[in-house]
Amino acid sequence: MFALVDANSFYCSAEQVFRPHWRGKPMIVLSNNDGCIVAANKQAIALGIKKFQPYFKAKQLCEKSGIIACSSNYELYADLSHKMMQVIARFAPEQHIYSIDESFLSFKHCTQAIPDLAAHAQNIRRAVWKETRLPVCVGFGKTLTLAKVANHIAKKWPGFNGVCVLDDESLTKQLFTQLSPADVWGIGRKTAKKLQQNSICSVYQLSTLTINQLPAGFNVELQRTIKELNGEVCKTWDTVRADKLQIFSTRSMGKRIRHREHLNQALAKHASIAAVKARQQQSLCATLMVFAANSPFDETPCSYKILCHFNPPTNNTTQLLKAIKDNINQLFKPGVAYYKVGVGLLNLSSEKNQQWDLFVPPQENTPLMSVLDQINQRYGSDCAFFAAQGINQVWGMRRELLTPQYTTNWQHIPPILC
Amino acid sequence: MKFIPITASAGITGFESPASDYLQLPLSLDALLVEHPSATFIGKADGHSMQGVGIFSGDILIVDRHVTVKEGDVIVANLNGEFICKILHIAQRLLASANVKYKDIAINEEDQFTIEGVVIRSIRCHRASQLLAVNI
Repeated sequence: MFALVDANSFYCSAEQVFRPHWRGKPMIVLSNNDGCIVAANKQAIALGIKKFQPYFKAKQLCEKSGIIACSSNYELYADLSHKMMQVIARFAPEQHIYSIDESFLSFKHCTQAIPDLAAHAQNIRRAVWKETRLPVCVGFGKTLTLAKVANHIAKKWPGFNGVCVLDDESLTKQLFTQLSPADVWGIGRKTAKKLQQNSICSVYQLSTLTINQLPAGFNVELQRTIKELNGEVCKTWDTVRADKLQIFSTRSMGKRIRHREHLNQALAKHASIAAVKARQQQSLCATLMVFAANSPFDETPCSYKILCHFNPPTNNTTQLLKAIKDNINQLFKPGVAYYKVGVGLLNLSSEKNQQWDLFVPPQENTPLMSVLDQINQRYGSDCAFFAAQGINQVWGMRRELLTPQYTTNWQHIPPILC
Repeated sequence: MKFIPITASAGITGFESPASDYLQLPLSLDALLVEHPSATFIGKADGHSMQGVGIFSGDILIVDRHVTVKEGDVIVANLNGEFICKILHIAQRLLASANVKYKDIAINEEDQFTIEGVVIRSIRCHRASQLLAVNI
């Protein structure tokens, strides 16, 4: 059996851990630069908040209905997520952290030791709430897809009390007839629509299809999903998250950029972020894409993009920064107020299985990058960084409604009345 | 005639430490102060009502959410939306102060009350800490 443990509106719940007077209240969390609503809890959605709506459109509703708005405090979320994952890990021999608020558990070879899975799931929920003050839901199933479906039911349907175990055939069938294929992991909006056009409207209908009955135009991925819905394991940890084929780091600016030097700094920062990610997954990049644009709502929208090629491919930040610096004049035009900038590392290939070019000597592999990564891992990100990023980043993020970093900054630890 | 230069060197090895078989980990304050890392948070005492148990305003409190609360524990509670540190008397439903100048607080039906954790350690800085100093 597998379980999926998932926090309920994680960002909002994390904001409430050290602000007990916010618990139970409607809350939203805004994206970088306080632009969009990226998270909303149940109470806020009930009041009419829509996710991914621009904040300025919802601001009036927030003020009128007393909905609390916060800038995203990723420092806090990352630390609380780490603690939550450690508590969850105690309850199974194997854990796979899937995202900041979701982790899969595998109960292979030990299902017999846990006769009552629903009770075990309640224990997980109680322990996570007691020790981290974060609410979670638990779904159990024979495959990762079923665990995910079970989690969806546990979270969204009343009467399940945050736990759903799909181990009984008649119960599973009954639930599946009421679920839409769009609620199944891996079935996107397009696929769901296409299924509907073929009058497949429930998960039960989908699960009974054999490969021959599958309408034309559906890929092997859907076949695997159907097998998984029938309890046949097709997806494992390694396949649920393969290495990324492209890495992007992009952001809209808190304050518009009008200087060449500032544009170079912002791009250098994004290149550094992307390069760290490439090194983490041991990938090399053959093409660097750099872009800078003002807002599409500006009077004369303009957008510039360049591609830099590397042979041999690289993940060395110094090389990326040099390429940006050499080409900055193609991106920067005086008079443009840049709003959105970013970089993309494209054509990624594995560092381990690299195909060397006969005529291009391999780059000397200096340990500088790994030393830099180790320093930042140990002492906190951006403890050591390239000066090209700038020291006082005037173009930095706007986070006007930011809560303190309660668990990662000594000066922000919560006050306790005595 | 071809020469292959080889530098001559005499290795300096030094002496093995006689203590090398007896190496132990150095004392860790983390291990002493934090028993359940994933269930612990750190806060700062604000007020004088707990001086009787040695908690002064500005002290650092280490709050463990994993341990089971016992009668007479120094706890942090969420009382009506605020973190408050008191001594818990379960049967009397009372949050007791440890300073005669401060009143005990009875927990009523209408109060929003949850126990947030047990204060397992408190730390005093007898000289100001740079980490805690507030930069202005």
